[in-house]
Amino acid sequence: MASQRIFQLGLRRTAASGFTRTQTAGRIVQRRFAATQNVNQETGQEILANQRLKRPVSPHLAIYRPQITWYASSLNRITGILLSGGLYLFGIAYLAAPTLGWHLETPSMVAAVASWPVFAKISAKALVAFPFFFHSVNGLRHLTWDLGLGLKNQTVIRTGWTAVGFTVVSALYYTFLV
Amino acid sequence: MASIMRPGLLRQACHATAAPQRFMSIRASPLAQQLRPTFAPSTIPQSTRIAAFHATRRHQILPALPQKVEGTANDPTPVPDPSPVHGSYHWSFERIVSAGLVPLTVAPFAAGSLNPTTDAILCALLVVHSHIGFESCIIDYFPKHRVPLLRNIAMWALRIGTLTLGVALYSFETNDVGITEAVTRLWHA
Repeated sequence: MASQRIFQLGLRRTAASGFTRTQTAGRIVQRRFAATQNVNQETGQEILANQRLKRPVSPHLAIYRPQITWYASSLNRITGILLSGGLYLFGIAYLAAPTLGWHLETPSMVAAVASWPVFAKISAKALVAFPFFFHSVNGLRHLTWDLGLGLKNQTVIRTGWTAVGFTVVSALYYTFLV
Repeated sequence: MASIMRPGLLRQACHATAAPQRFMSIRASPLAQQLRPTFAPSTIPQSTRIAAFHATRRHQILPALPQKVEGTANDPTPVPDPSPVHGSYHWSFERIVSAGLVPLTVAPFAAGSLNPTTDAILCALLVVHSHIGFESCIIDYFPKHRVPLLRNIAMWALRIGTLTLGVALYSFETNDVGITEAVTRLWHA
């Protein structure tokens, strides 16, 4: 055992014989023969900014496979914007109505809608019902996630399709039967 | 090797030249390539052979804007102060508003419409919920470092809009029948 170690040490000393002796610093110092030039601060910044232009850009959304997880998430935001946008537009129009001579009181609006053809009524109902039910049901999913529940991928997929199913059924019911 | 691990680098590098060469390589002689002995060097440049591996189109939403460098090249990235409760109360407030909307949304379906007080609460929560929603959209799509002016304009437009909506809903609640009753009547019109 001891003889083996002594033999190994001897081998190592032979292999690295150059480093066992003390050397002057000048022999170890690296020398690099690269062509360099001094530039001022502004030029340096410019070179760096131009290098940054060549960095990769985030890929387009279209490269991702359509899946219920991220589709439902996008739809949640889009439906929210539609519903709230409608509310904001109505609010602004309601305040501007006396000045502009519009009639946005409930009785006159009801009378106006009553005079619409059936097709227009059904379209308007569908336009409100689908976003409303989707945003409401999907909001419940989001609230359960915020409690830390139902975060497994399979569960998210299942609840996503459940939300879509519930939306379609209730929106169709309220569009055509109520 | 680096180009295999980071294909983005490669695409930037060979995008300009890859397309015409790939086109030529299809037209030139694929047979010659196949009959070529394994030890003979390929006539197709290395970058083109790797580029052919990337099948998707180069497809970007927005081109990169002119870049500007804050400080010098050797400055570290600024790290924000770590704060465990930053945004935490804000987050809880948003959830409470959303959760509060749930019974107020279900109730009209069960009862037909709401009494004035509950209707007013629903309106108030809708205003807050909408404001928060639009605010997060603005924060997501108008980043401060990219479009600072547009971000400010959008934020102020939203604040004015929310205030207008608040006044409008107050007026609607006090002078008219309330939103749940209005929607019910419109739905059955």
